[in-house]
Amino acid sequence: MANYIITLVLGIFFGFSLNKAGLTKYHKIVNVFRFTDMAVLKFMMTALVVSMSGLYALRGLGLVTFPNVPATYIVGNLVGGLIFGVGMALSGYCPGTCAAGAGEGKMDYLIPGVLGFLTGAVLFGLTYQQVFPPINAIANYGNAIIPELWNVSAFLFITMFTLMSLLLFYLIDRVGWQRKDSHQ
Amino acid sequence: MKFILNYIRREEWSPYVAGALLGLVGIGAVWASNNLLGASGAFENLAGMFGKWIAPAVFDNMYFNFIMPPGITIGVVLIIGIFFGGMIGAATSGTLMWFKKGSANSDAQWKRIFGPQTWKRWVLAFVGAVILEYAAGIAGGCTSGLAISGGMLLAPSAFLFIAGMFASGIVTALVIYRNRY
Repeated sequence: MANYIITLVLGIFFGFSLNKAGLTKYHKIVNVFRFTDMAVLKFMMTALVVSMSGLYALRGLGLVTFPNVPATYIVGNLVGGLIFGVGMALSGYCPGTCAAGAGEGKMDYLIPGVLGFLTGAVLFGLTYQQVFPPINAIANYGNAIIPELWNVSAFLFITMFTLMSLLLFYLIDRVGWQRKDSHQ
Repeated sequence: MKFILNYIRREEWSPYVAGALLGLVGIGAVWASNNLLGASGAFENLAGMFGKWIAPAVFDNMYFNFIMPPGITIGVVLIIGIFFGGMIGAATSGTLMWFKKGSANSDAQWKRIFGPQTWKRWVLAFVGAVILEYAAGIAGGCTSGLAISGGMLLAPSAFLFIAGMFASGIVTALVIYRNRY
């Protein structure tokens, strides 16, 4: 029960952050693919920098153990990502931002979004046996993490990732690596 | 204090501040419940639950029995939280859309590019949502369950997924926007 309450509270903060970042708006999601508004990229990379630094620090101190790491099977992760991007650009949401947008009272999130996800879930569940095992079998590294797979220090990797993110933020915000939207 | 309250009331935050908050939520999930965030899996649990009510024989397969068991899982609780989080976020800035004019077709840019018809927005959104959920199944998660949750643990899968997502998102936007890109 306690776990359910904790999860509910975490979900509320999650949805709140999506709303405040503007990701519950169609144009925010699509415009990152048009390079006219890079908020999605800034939001995701900041979240990654904060969470990876925090989690590896906490693990180093022995305060957390990692849950099941999402599995790496190269073709499936990549092809899944490629198909996912098409859906994102068409709808202007992903499952999380759609749930938050529905909470804001947007009917074009609540109705076609939720019905679409349920339909997609049924299609996947009914074709799982034919589709998933063959893809999952190609180049499968199980629950790998980069520090162990490449034998690099996690500290070094996270430092590099952070510096790269900061450089990218600098290029976007100060050097102007962003297109002007000529159809505003 | 006044500054913080005023900031909370703003409709849009700096993506860096909002992103840092999501990062803390990601840490919180591991620290407080040894769990990862994720949204797409919840729809699988719900689809299995509805499916088993409507057509139990069709949904009596390995996937809906064992891989993604039906019911109100912890993932479903999380998306209920996300729903209310979005609601609270919009309420603090006075931008709730419930029962308001324009809530059926909520984005000005969409209307400018594709026209005012609500059915068009809904058809494209529905098709997009089907694609998103199926793709998340193949990839092993969506933007939250794989890209953020996997990325923060430094799972290679997350970075492969993000690369694929941006590559095809850019191509799709080019195709559907054409000369308006």
